[in-house]
Amino acid sequence: MFRKKNTAGVNSNEIRAILDEKKAKMKLSLKACAHCSLCAESCFLFMGHNKDPKYMPSYKFLNSVGVLYKKKGNVDKLDLGEMRDLVWERCVLCTRCYCPIGIDIPDMLALARRICRSQGVYPQYDRE
Amino acid sequence: MALSHIFSWTFMYDFIRGPMVWISFIIFFCGVVFQVLRFMSLLKEQPVKKFEPGPGNIIHSQTVSHLKGDRVKTRWFKKGPDKKDWMVWLKLSIAGVNPFMTIVTTIFHVLLIGVPVFVLGHNILLDNAFGISMVSLPENVSDFLTGVVIFCTLIFLFRRLFLERVKMITSYEDYLFLSLAAAPFVTGYLAYHQVFSNYKLLISLHILSGELLLMAVPFTKFIHMIYMIIVRFNVAGEYSFGNARKNW
Repeated sequence: MFRKKNTAGVNSNEIRAILDEKKAKMKLSLKACAHCSLCAESCFLFMGHNKDPKYMPSYKFLNSVGVLYKKKGNVDKLDLGEMRDLVWERCVLCTRCYCPIGIDIPDMLALARRICRSQGVYPQYDRE
Repeated sequence: MALSHIFSWTFMYDFIRGPMVWISFIIFFCGVVFQVLRFMSLLKEQPVKKFEPGPGNIIHSQTVSHLKGDRVKTRWFKKGPDKKDWMVWLKLSIAGVNPFMTIVTTIFHVLLIGVPVFVLGHNILLDNAFGISMVSLPENVSDFLTGVVIFCTLIFLFRRLFLERVKMITSYEDYLFLSLAAAPFVTGYLAYHQVFSNYKLLISLHILSGELLLMAVPFTKFIHMIYMIIVRFNVAGEYSFGNARKNW
């Protein structure tokens, strides 16, 4: 948790600039999320992976955009690598997730994907 | 005014039940109005493409006629979705997937707003101050309903503590705001039953926690109260209510 950060190759300013584009929506969505976990069952990957909480839409949302916002873009490649697994491996952007409060989770995950992609972190299907 | 007087018990008590009530109500209402206006300025009207059947349009009545095959066959008095459709709809809705939590949250949120408005004690104060006579619940009913609210809060707390999927996304904020939401009810319950001999302390804690709760609504996690109503009724999407046609 408290490991030393090696921020080489990550442009925090660029991340911040992308975050700022959707600042109002992201901030309000993060604030409004009541952490109720009622969105869980609407995700087919959650249901398909034996109800593993790591596949919950709110978990993915809070641990990608939430972390980026909290750290103000000061993340390293390791963080972004974890985020890559979160937003590409555990989400297919099918936009089926249902939030009782009305948070647009797919849009937030798409934002996280955009940020990862801007830093050169994305799945390379031809090499892996 | 001496400093010792400001920190004295009587001054604090008078401040909490006097000007502090006005301050908290003003902050609450101004905050809510501000947040609603801010929300509405963020949302923009989106041009909506209406899908109408016809040549040249995306939906052609002949090509999609197979989609309404069932509808045609139903008898004339049963034109809408029939009972089976409603059952499927209910089963797939959040009430069907998670019925226990749906019931608990619905009861909790209705009572959280409803009980303080209809409690006899509050309405007597209103009557004394402004001569507004409100409908009130009998005392034993509101007492029972307060117990229900506290029970629902305990369910939420145990969910947060022991259910893996909620535990994973819980932060200290959640405990803080859950206890803040429960505090006026717990202190009010204890004060009404005069559990401790110091009634005055409990009732001032009750007033203070209620004021803090009101002031916290527009600026903290409680904003989901405003967010939910604005977003679900205004932002276009398949889960929106009414004819929402705006977007961020």
